[in-house]
Amino acid sequence: MQILLSGLATGAIYGLVAMGFAVAFYVTSVINFAQGQLLMAAIMVAAAVSQAGLPTGLGIVAGLAAAAVLGGLVYLLAVRPVLSFSRFSFAWLVSTLGVATILEAGAALIWGPTSRGFPVMLNDQPVRILGAVVSWQQILAIIVGAAVLAAFELYRRRTLFGKLGMAIAADPEMASAIGANTRNVAIAAFALAGLLAGIGGILVGPITYANPYLGETYGINGFVALMIGGVQRPAGAMAGGLVLGVLSQLANTEINSQASDWFPFLIVVVVLLVTPTGLLDAARWLRWPSRRAAAPSPAARPS
Amino acid sequence: MTALASRVRRDRRDRLGGPARGRQAAAVVIAVCYLLFTQLIATGSLYSQSLVLTAACFAILAISLDMVAGMTGLYSLGHAGLFACGAYATTLLNSHLGLGVFTVAPIAVAGTGLVGLVLGSLSLRVSGLYFAITTFIFTLVVGVLASDLSITGGLQGIEGPLFPAFPAGLSGLGSSVTWCVMLALLVTIFLAVAIRGSALYPVLLAIRDAEPFAAAAGVRTAAVKIGMFGLSAALAGLAGWCFSFLGIVSPGQFSWNVSVNILVMVILGGINTTVGPIIGAAFVSMFPAYVNFSALWQELLFGALFVLVIVFFPEGLTGLVVRLARWLRPRLRLAGATTASAVPAAAPPEAAAAPAADGIALRAPAGGRKQPAVECHNLTFGYTRGAVAVDNVSLVVRGGTIHGLIGPNGSGKSTLVSLIAGQRQPAAGSIRINGTDATSSGPWTRPRHGLARTFQTAVLVKELTARANVAIGLYSQVPRIALRAPVWPLLPAARRQGRDMAARAGNALAQVGMGSWAGTRVAEVPHGVEQLTQLAAAAVSGSGVLVLDEPLAGLSPGEVEHVAGILRDFRAAGGTVIIIEHQVQFVFGICDEVTVLSAGSVVASGPAAEVRQDARVREVYLGQ
Repeated sequence: MQILLSGLATGAIYGLVAMGFAVAFYVTSVINFAQGQLLMAAIMVAAAVSQAGLPTGLGIVAGLAAAAVLGGLVYLLAVRPVLSFSRFSFAWLVSTLGVATILEAGAALIWGPTSRGFPVMLNDQPVRILGAVVSWQQILAIIVGAAVLAAFELYRRRTLFGKLGMAIAADPEMASAIGANTRNVAIAAFALAGLLAGIGGILVGPITYANPYLGETYGINGFVALMIGGVQRPAGAMAGGLVLGVLSQLANTEINSQASDWFPFLIVVVVLLVTPTGLLDAARWLRWPSRRAAAPSPAARPS
Repeated sequence: MTALASRVRRDRRDRLGGPARGRQAAAVVIAVCYLLFTQLIATGSLYSQSLVLTAACFAILAISLDMVAGMTGLYSLGHAGLFACGAYATTLLNSHLGLGVFTVAPIAVAGTGLVGLVLGSLSLRVSGLYFAITTFIFTLVVGVLASDLSITGGLQGIEGPLFPAFPAGLSGLGSSVTWCVMLALLVTIFLAVAIRGSALYPVLLAIRDAEPFAAAAGVRTAAVKIGMFGLSAALAGLAGWCFSFLGIVSPGQFSWNVSVNILVMVILGGINTTVGPIIGAAFVSMFPAYVNFSALWQELLFGALFVLVIVFFPEGLTGLVVRLARWLRPRLRLAGATTASAVPAAAPPEAAAAPAADGIALRAPAGGRKQPAVECHNLTFGYTRGAVAVDNVSLVVRGGTIHGLIGPNGSGKSTLVSLIAGQRQPAAGSIRINGTDATSSGPWTRPRHGLARTFQTAVLVKELTARANVAIGLYSQVPRIALRAPVWPLLPAARRQGRDMAARAGNALAQVGMGSWAGTRVAEVPHGVEQLTQLAAAAVSGSGVLVLDEPLAGLSPGEVEHVAGILRDFRAAGGTVIIIEHQVQFVFGICDEVTVLSAGSVVASGPAAEVRQDARVREVYLGQ
């Protein structure tokens, strides 16, 4: 139970980062490798604002805003310009990794490469639930993770904007033909992805403190969660994060404290071996029957 | 030096059709300069040695990455991991087993190559994004292993082996490590140049840009991709072997950033060129030595460099030079006399309508005329669960006939053709081609069965000439192209076969009336020429059965007549054609037999005149 709850708490953070990956990928078919650094940016900005003597709430808002704005900027400056090169279908891979490096080095330059304090939001009294000892911070992470997922799914299915995202994901050309502004939707998706990572950052900040190199850890774990959960469904990504969190926690307690370094990769390798075509494809195959109802059937295209 | 130069030269040779005698002499001059430079460095200061040798190691990596990313379109992020494999293998085998550095070399190189083959076969079954991700994870895993295992010395790393100095008699050569690393780079450059000059190169580009086209030409594309990745991995292992002599080997030197760095080197210098990766590697690896900032500023600048390069210079430095040269050439030409290279561009499109001189040389259909060339029995296929695109279709195409395949959009014509051509395997039913069962064999087996196809959408390699594209169609006719490619220029037989392929491809183009376009890059030819080039690429290997998917789309009336003439000649020579076409007049004018599909099923099949009178056909298709 202890393992499960702590695992879910960490997993919710991974899941939020992975959801961000998935949201951006969903609309643009681009994996934003600077996703982890957006989480870091939210933590750093929130820490800096509250250390300047401003209220913690303001710091949190500023951190989330920073992550969202940076997310949108990543799309505008690093992704959109390179999408038009048909010859380098993976140019975005280099440019988003470049942005990750810029953000990391930039944060280290501004705030110094060492850890700084992060405002305490909840009193750190441990709580006993079903025989397990957890902090309020961890409970908050689980609750927020679930709430964000529910809100996101509602938003995606019930609002026009969410449906627009689905339409663009299914067929960008068709979507723009019926008048969708694919650019704005993509910016919004990247900003939303940044926001999700930022929420994760604010939740994890009190535990990890503010450090410019946090991005890599959470980015990679979020990415692994994405691979586990399937790249096409944000809800699946969250599930992947939870699975990863619990399994890593299990490995940490059962094997040794270093296990979380390599354990995620073991999971990925196993996943890749089990579905040899990769989860990317496995996820797509699973999705097909449901998507076919809405989209023009692929069978109709070859004539 | 010179991919750039050699590419320009190759283009020119293509256009002029003349031999380039100077190539060998140029290669010798360049090699001598290279060795002189090595001598200079080997006897120079330790500082310049360390700069140049690090750059050389990265140049090997960049070239090896370019072989997969540039030539084959596989964006590997695993090269830092493979690099680490080579370096750690060398260091550990040397320090723990006491093996000499030269004994270790083949083990490190072949071992890393093997790792590449395994990684490739696990991840290349699906290429693209999935490949990039898998190799990325590979680099991460190697990094974690290197930091966490005790044998690797953890984060501090371990000192690499000492490279033995030259014996006293050779001490005039200076530093032995310098010679070793520079020779390793020379070997790598040679491999890259050899592959670029081989008959495999157009095939690799076809795999990159038009995989179905390559497969239809008889290329086992998955095997070639895995093989190329294995070769590239072995070279990365070689780079690791070299690198281990330069000092400490530690995990930080092989992080995922390094994988991205290598990709940036390739793109900065110019992807799919031979000099580009070398320039890029020299620039990126020497950059920190000349720009003296704090480590953090350097990282920041590097990140900015990645983004700027990919956004503003996607073609790299060599791309800029080539563009400049293209811009300058016409202006220089104005000053001088007109050269032959101006001719193709000026060739009027009407030349396309010139009737073909004679039919394309054929292998006689195995079963002779009127025997079934292609037999389909009860074929069923669906792209997704539940939906059926081809439903219980039976079809017999007799040898020496032209068989039309018509039907509304979505009726399953293209799907049926892709089943016949082996791109997809039917869920049920059987296919026989020239009497041999071909139901479940892949597209690369079709040339062996004597069947070739064209595609509805243009699938040629844009940056190659029409002739080079057609030569891809000869892949199945020349043995062991892929295996011989790395040493191609050293094999007289291979060079002769290469020339032979170019000549046959030129003939095939001439036979479809496109001879004047042979030396022009496909990116610059009109649509009709592209379609006919596809036809020539299908016919060049002498396949007795041609499967054409809408070969007339976008052709002018004159060009349509021209194609009809070619097909009649082909039939007269005993060839069999299956043709998908929407122009009903054309179909009933030329076809002996016609099959009409609707919603995945055969509506009617038989002699053209009968089918035309069929009431149901008139209803579903002719709209009468």
